[in-house]
Amino acid sequence: MFGLDYSWLADSAYQQWLLMGVLNTLKLAAISSIAAMLIGMLGALGLTLRLFWLDALIELFVEVFRNTPPLLQMLFAYFTLSTLGLKVTDPSTGLSVPLLSAFACASIALSLFGGALAIEAFRSGIDTMPRSIIEAARSLGYGRWARFWRIEAPIAARICLPSLTNILTNLFKTTSQASVITVPELMYYAGQIYNDTFRTLEVMLLVLVIYVALVSILTFAMARLEAFMAFPGYGKGH
Amino acid sequence: MDTLLSYEDKKRAVLIIIALFVVVWVALDAMAGGSVYWQRVLIRLPLLLTGEGSGWPITGGFVLNILLSLASMLLATLLGTFMGLATLAKSPLVRIPAFLIMNFLRNSPWLVLLFAMLYILPFQVRVFGFVIPFPPFVKAVIGLALPTAANFSEVIRGAVQSIHSGQWEAARSLGYTTSQIYRHVILPQALRRMIPGWMNLYALLMIATALATVTGIQDVLTILNTSLAMESERVIVYFYLTILFLFFAYCYPIALLARRLERAVKGDNL
Repeated sequence: MFGLDYSWLADSAYQQWLLMGVLNTLKLAAISSIAAMLIGMLGALGLTLRLFWLDALIELFVEVFRNTPPLLQMLFAYFTLSTLGLKVTDPSTGLSVPLLSAFACASIALSLFGGALAIEAFRSGIDTMPRSIIEAARSLGYGRWARFWRIEAPIAARICLPSLTNILTNLFKTTSQASVITVPELMYYAGQIYNDTFRTLEVMLLVLVIYVALVSILTFAMARLEAFMAFPGYGKGH
Repeated sequence: MDTLLSYEDKKRAVLIIIALFVVVWVALDAMAGGSVYWQRVLIRLPLLLTGEGSGWPITGGFVLNILLSLASMLLATLLGTFMGLATLAKSPLVRIPAFLIMNFLRNSPWLVLLFAMLYILPFQVRVFGFVIPFPPFVKAVIGLALPTAANFSEVIRGAVQSIHSGQWEAARSLGYTTSQIYRHVILPQALRRMIPGWMNLYALLMIATALATVTGIQDVLTILNTSLAMESERVIVYFYLTILFLFFAYCYPIALLARRLERAVKGDNL
């Protein structure tokens, strides 16, 4: 069809590579997503403390990671973390090897990048919380902690969900850039396969379709979650 | 003294102190022997910025990234406008394919799309006897413009749909046709709301031009990689910091301006 040759796909070695690539992509995306969410929550909680110095530090972190290419962040982490002293001496060979693998460097860079985006999303979620709800909760006798867990967090979570979907898909798509620092994820194996078969166009098209399918599943799941969690007046229930 | 400063002032003061601290740290590092490394960076800086050791003519470098982002944004704005209006069309024959294409482009990673474009697009196309060549730069422009266009069409959709439905009803009751309503009522108002989203998208695109290094054009990362091959391990850190700073210095003011406009637009409730 269209002069495309997919006969290489019958080779079980290539199937194995694609599968491993997908699994590593999922692993990288899962690790960095969870870490990014945690960073986002911590950062947004830190902002609610209204400490000016903490506020300044968090803003600096967010702006630096939002306004520089994630590809450069990963390269920076990969090439400099090891030269800056994070090395261990392998006891068996006596050689000095970098403490962090390419996968670890990519996870760290992606977590920080996603974390910066998440802080921003959670912050706007907390900011757009109607004051009247907080006042109503206070007048009903809710303490600070109970108010946060039972009133503020559930509402903020629903307000944040659409932008959270954006961040998670963005992060998932950005994992493809980890191939540049030799993390063996889907893009990396794609390169291996077309170096072997010279079927560049066919491999890239297949990989593109796989990525779109995976991201579509993610957006669909998040949309379902949004609909499931909706309550009247917020988000989809509006 | 302390009470005279507002919360925002104090925050700004801390940020200025951090900036000063960084400057002092760089100076101390330079005195402690880092100046050798900074000199290496300084020697390479014209090359990193313009792709030419002497700084002129411009053949690549960070300036090429800027040119690439401008060309891509122009194309993305045109494509995105068509796509956005197509997803708002009444006829499902136009709307559904436009929606599918938009979602496909939005859900594909920029890097993969760029790679795919690199191989899908031919070296040249023959149109009515004219030969239009597709050098890597043009491929990079197209590859980056496609996802940007899809995102921009979403911005347009959001802006158009944010216009109160009463405007539609009022215009229709006055006998305007759909295209007249768009031209005279909806788009003039929606345009104002699109601008922050458009600017944010431009900052995002500029950041994504770092990916264009895979097409082999002489952008800042390609030049960085070739110059790093000749440098010692320790200098690499200084080079990366410089490039990160270049991107930050270019994108942060744009993001800042976009946010300010966003706040201004949020005020008008129609």
